[in-house]
Amino acid sequence: MDCIKKKVNEELQRGWIGSDLACNYHPCHFTGQDCTFCYCPFYPCHDTDLGEMLVGRRGNEVWSCSDCLFIHRTEVCQFIISEVGRLGVTEAGDPRFMDIFAEAKKRFWHEGSALMVVGATSDAGKSITVAALCRILHRRGYIVAPFKSQNMSLNAKATRMGTEIAMAQTVQAKAAGLKTPDSHMNPILLKPKGDTVSQVVVCGKPYADYDVESYYGEFVPGPGRSIVRENIAFLKRHYDFVLMEGAGSPAEINIYDVDIANMGAAREADADVILVVNVEWGGAFAYALGTIELIPEEDRRRIKGVVFNNVRGDTERFRTGIPEFERLCGVPVIGVIPHGDFVLPSEDSEALRSVATMGHGRCRIAAVRYPRIANFTDLDPLFLEDVTVVFAERPEDLDGADAIVLPGTKNTVQDLLWMESAGIADKVRSLRGKVPIVGICGGYQMMGRELRDPEGIEGGVSRTLPGLGLFDMTTTFGDYSKRVVNSEGRMLVGDGGDITGYELHMGMSEVREEPLFEITNNFDRDRVTDGAVRENEMLYGTYLHGIFDRKPFRTHFLSRITHGGERYDASDSRDYDDILEENLERLADVFESNLDMDAVMRMLGVGE
Amino acid sequence: MRILVLGTSSDAGKTVIGAMICRHMARRGLDPVPFKAFNLSLNSYATKDGGEIGMGQTFQAWACGLEPETDMNPVLYKPSGGGRMQMIVGGRPLMDIGNGVEPDREAAVRGIREAYGRLSSAHGCVVCEGSGSPAELNLMSSDLANTGLMRLLGVPAVLVADIERGGAFAAIYGTWRIIPEDVRPLLKGFVINRFRGDASILGDGIRRIEELTGMRCLGVIPYLPLRFPEEDSLSRSEGRLQGEDVRQAFLSNLDELLDAAEAGGFDFRLLEDITDEGQSRRTTTRLTTDE
Ligand code: SF4
Repeated sequence: MDCIKKKVNEELQRGWIGSDLACNYHPCHFTGQDCTFCYCPFYPCHDTDLGEMLVGRRGNEVWSCSDCLFIHRTEVCQFIISEVGRLGVTEAGDPRFMDIFAEAKKRFWHEGSALMVVGATSDAGKSITVAALCRILHRRGYIVAPFKSQNMSLNAKATRMGTEIAMAQTVQAKAAGLKTPDSHMNPILLKPKGDTVSQVVVCGKPYADYDVESYYGEFVPGPGRSIVRENIAFLKRHYDFVLMEGAGSPAEINIYDVDIANMGAAREADADVILVVNVEWGGAFAYALGTIELIPEEDRRRIKGVVFNNVRGDTERFRTGIPEFERLCGVPVIGVIPHGDFVLPSEDSEALRSVATMGHGRCRIAAVRYPRIANFTDLDPLFLEDVTVVFAERPEDLDGADAIVLPGTKNTVQDLLWMESAGIADKVRSLRGKVPIVGICGGYQMMGRELRDPEGIEGGVSRTLPGLGLFDMTTTFGDYSKRVVNSEGRMLVGDGGDITGYELHMGMSEVREEPLFEITNNFDRDRVTDGAVRENEMLYGTYLHGIFDRKPFRTHFLSRITHGGERYDASDSRDYDDILEENLERLADVFESNLDMDAVMRMLGVGE
Repeated sequence: MRILVLGTSSDAGKTVIGAMICRHMARRGLDPVPFKAFNLSLNSYATKDGGEIGMGQTFQAWACGLEPETDMNPVLYKPSGGGRMQMIVGGRPLMDIGNGVEPDREAAVRGIREAYGRLSSAHGCVVCEGSGSPAELNLMSSDLANTGLMRLLGVPAVLVADIERGGAFAAIYGTWRIIPEDVRPLLKGFVINRFRGDASILGDGIRRIEELTGMRCLGVIPYLPLRFPEEDSLSRSEGRLQGEDVRQAFLSNLDELLDAAEAGGFDFRLLEDITDEGQSRRTTTRLTTDE
């Protein structure tokens, strides 16, 4: 405590500093944060709008500030410094800090407001609309949190705290300049396990498995609604705005009463709603009108604007339909967004489910598309390269491939069985040593000699089956839990460059191969090795998702490719993160110039 | 007998459902023939009578057991790059349109009326297909294949909605709402396409739409991982169905779909009633505002 007092005293003496760009950890919360008080002079304020009391392992109480952004607001810091000067306070622990705190809170704290973006269909553009709004508001100096109550996704990402949230909210948090997205932003995550059953992950932790009936019958009316309410309330306490994203269509009238992902969540958050419609497939006016009119009156009044998204070609021609639309429906059109090619992680797996190839580059990389493929977004950085990714579902699809990726899967055992019966497993074995092969997570597990599932966790029945036999490795699916870890480290091959990634999987592997990476996870700072490599056979395997995001491993892997007698030239490669950042800026620009931001600000309760 | 298959979006599955209806009618010996008044497509099929028509009607003709002919697709726009399109009427290039040049609407309407007349007198049942969505407020006044055809010939229609992306109820209801009141009574039914899972969960929603619109639900078509050549772009199926096999592969996929629809309780009786109603309607109403 004394040591903290000393730090606070130093801070008081130093005065207001704004963002501390020189700090190694900057920004630890959000871009543009005020770092004057790295150590809070109010500690412990005991104000539950800002922090919370945790009970330590030995029953002792600890005041936790880990979610407090209040002390990192410039206006708060400047106010404290000026008050401290005015009152002549020089020492931490001065009782007058109580008064300064009370006054600062009165002036600068208020509960945030929420705005919801729903879509007439899935892939309507909800995610990118929320991402664009996050960036626009962030640029205007607001602290914004993305939120989606329920996400059906196979694209999850680990957070720094070792929980798991959807890729869409991770990207939106990035758009908002937030450095530590957490599970409050995505409290309910549904991960399809089979055709009808989903694993429900609540606040980042596996909760239970539900089928459709029990999910809507038991989970939603029971814990579901209160989970949504509590998490929105939490975000409102800490952020200026909560930008909520709906799921699917809000007008599924057969399940309307049990929907907590759309209007139900808007009700809990008392949020105004924007409806986004993708114009690309046609019927946009009908989708918009039908969606609005099928929503019951008491919720319909929340819908304050319609955005038509993804208009190709001449937007003027499209606009000629708007006056009649507004007359029919009574809700104003607040945006017509032209089609844009943005490099952002795939919104959800459906977008890739039906395409045969992605990208137009010269090299052919075959990614095996198992029925239960997961974390598609691992492949996204490849689309920036001189690469065409072919989604392989049959052995012939691997013909002519310059490299093979075995992606992640929600169920390694079932998908390995599928690989065997489809003849793809043998095809991959036959290409060993001829083309580079990389397995990620479930795909890595498959590369081993043997997979053991004694309790039938993956397959429903107890069994042991041979893997692809590319690595000397045995994977055992032991208990119903998974490692969820966000890691960084370096390659143990090539130039030893930096890597980042995240692990989330079931099963543990015993590997008798050279490791591929040395990693430190961001949570408990353990230093371990990961993966397996046989450089001479061009075989790579890792548990880390997102491994192509940073340049070093991507270029190392691609440089092993020979296409048409030539080595792949990866000298132009860039970090995916930088490219994302550029695209978020571009996205925000497009929205800002085609969206009535004044209307949006009014919905957020701000008269700009 | 006649029926018009409309879609709530451009790839709702009109072509495949139209083909399925053709196949059913053919199995029942009702002598169906496909017809799409207007088609905008890059891909066309060279017919034996020396014209060209869209791929969709080619497949539907096969489903009927017929050879494709130009009357099945009297007006075709083929993009020729640079915002220009070739307008083909009756299988023959008529003019280049786009970049300020408007199509010859009168020639189009004449072509449609004549082709339809020949088909309907030669066959037992004309299975028409719409184009895009019939509810494009910005295009409504120039529509030929949807509300345009309904107004021109009084053909009763069913609406196909793709449920895979969600929002199907909204799409059906919204389309019904936007379709002009003079032709709205011709909307008789709807089909929910590409559904995954247990269809009983849709029951409440379907009843609600039936109450609100007076349309009847013909059925829910299950999602099947079948490969049908796409109407607008063959690219998705390119390399999957090749050469002489195309026809056979298409027909066996279609039979599988038809069997699944029958097993799923698709109301083919109601479908036939609707096509019949069209027959009597032609003699009792005069919906010829376009003349
Ligand atoms: S919760 Fe915030 S204001 Fe309160 S003591 Fe912690 S950092 Fe300071």
